[in-house]
Amino acid sequence: MDTPDAPAVTDTPAELSQRLTVLLGQISQGDRAAFAEFYRLTSRRVYGMARRVLIDAELSEDTTQEVFLQVWQNAARFDPAAGSPLSWLMTISHRRAVDRVRSAQSATDREARYGASTQDIDHDTVSDEVGSRLEAEAVVRCLGTLTETQQESVRLAYYGGLTYREVAERLDAAVPTIKSRIRDGLIRLKTCLGVS
Amino acid sequence: MNHGPAGRSGGFGDTVAADLASGRVIDLAELYALDAVTDDERRAIEEYISAAPVAERTSFFERVRQSRETLTRTFKAEEEPPADLFHRIVAQLPAQLPAQLPSPGPAQAGPVPEGPTDELAKARQRREERRRPAGTRRWLAGIAAAAAIALGGVGVGSYIADQNDPLNQVVRADDVREASVPVAAGGTATVLVSSSKDALVVKMNGVPAPPEGKVYQMWLIPKDGSAPVSQGLMDEAALSKPAVVEGIASAASLGITVEPAGGSKSPTLPTVAAAPLGA
Repeated sequence: MDTPDAPAVTDTPAELSQRLTVLLGQISQGDRAAFAEFYRLTSRRVYGMARRVLIDAELSEDTTQEVFLQVWQNAARFDPAAGSPLSWLMTISHRRAVDRVRSAQSATDREARYGASTQDIDHDTVSDEVGSRLEAEAVVRCLGTLTETQQESVRLAYYGGLTYREVAERLDAAVPTIKSRIRDGLIRLKTCLGVS
Repeated sequence: MNHGPAGRSGGFGDTVAADLASGRVIDLAELYALDAVTDDERRAIEEYISAAPVAERTSFFERVRQSRETLTRTFKAEEEPPADLFHRIVAQLPAQLPAQLPSPGPAQAGPVPEGPTDELAKARQRREERRRPAGTRRWLAGIAAAAAIALGGVGVGSYIADQNDPLNQVVRADDVREASVPVAAGGTATVLVSSSKDALVVKMNGVPAPPEGKVYQMWLIPKDGSAPVSQGLMDEAALSKPAVVEGIASAASLGITVEPAGGSKSPTLPTVAAAPLGA
């Protein structure tokens, strides 16, 4: 457990949430050891998402750095009643990555991003732990309940950092159609995964 | 909950503005949670929702929260960051602890300059150094400040992106109470109070800018009769934004006065507006 490069997810999601919540409490008291542990448990997720959205390694490092500085400064603001710690962290991370990608990148890079964002989710790294294997299977199964176009629209928005309008242009579809695909796709996923 | 798409378009219009106008804000929750809107659209949604009835606000944020949990569980790309990245981050941590109190100490109301996080850290440090003795009541921040502090300068208007932002906490609280009080110079101050979150949100509506060289200053008037405690200033720029006042449990009322620029140590009477916080 002390190896600095252990995989980020070694617990069931519930166990991980609990650990991260405790760590955030300690971080809000200025506990650097807790901060190091929090980083160890989550940095692969934050950096991994940044790489998928931004492609560029250096930009992804900068973004990851900003995200963890925010964790240090704002740990006290985390409220377990308002969502899981990982969701809080990934929300901040996604926003940073998307802001970056929209402001910083050229059209050429955008093409690369479309390519990256259409990569299969099944290729996302999954640890060998039983808990996360089961979770991964559920995700794959639930994604399978979406139509292909719903999956594609959600993924272009999430990993491509595209607005719904850009997704519509990209897929040559009507804007209202894309909006409802994204909405319905996410609601279907939520229901299948039992997110409450 | 309106999940059933009425057709291929599910009732959506071409623009976010059209969706808001047709009362479909809740259906934008998924797009909002996914960051699949432009900055301007996000602001429009946030403005709309902050003025929406409590029930609608609550449903919206509930759907945003669920969407974010769903996305976090679905998209799990992992990649090992460079080995030295953590050390680079630690090297940038402010030399002192983050707020020891649950609050960052008194902050100026109004916009905090955006900039790299280390700038913010410095600003925070300066505020920490100015911190009044422990027990001093908490701070007021214009949304710009809240956003910059909450999100490390992601940008003004992004406060709602942080579900744990105090403003967001208050507007979504189960026990939120709303009151509007007249402001002497014109307009009203709307106050949303949540005892469970120990905080309130003040929004000025149609209130004129303070006179030249003056600012509005907000105070909590303690129940025990001790001196009013400043909660920060509101200049012209801060007037248009909701402000958060935290740590209200021991206060009997909120008062607003006109003070010389830079603020005063104690309120200059008469108050231009006062809202009882009687729980």
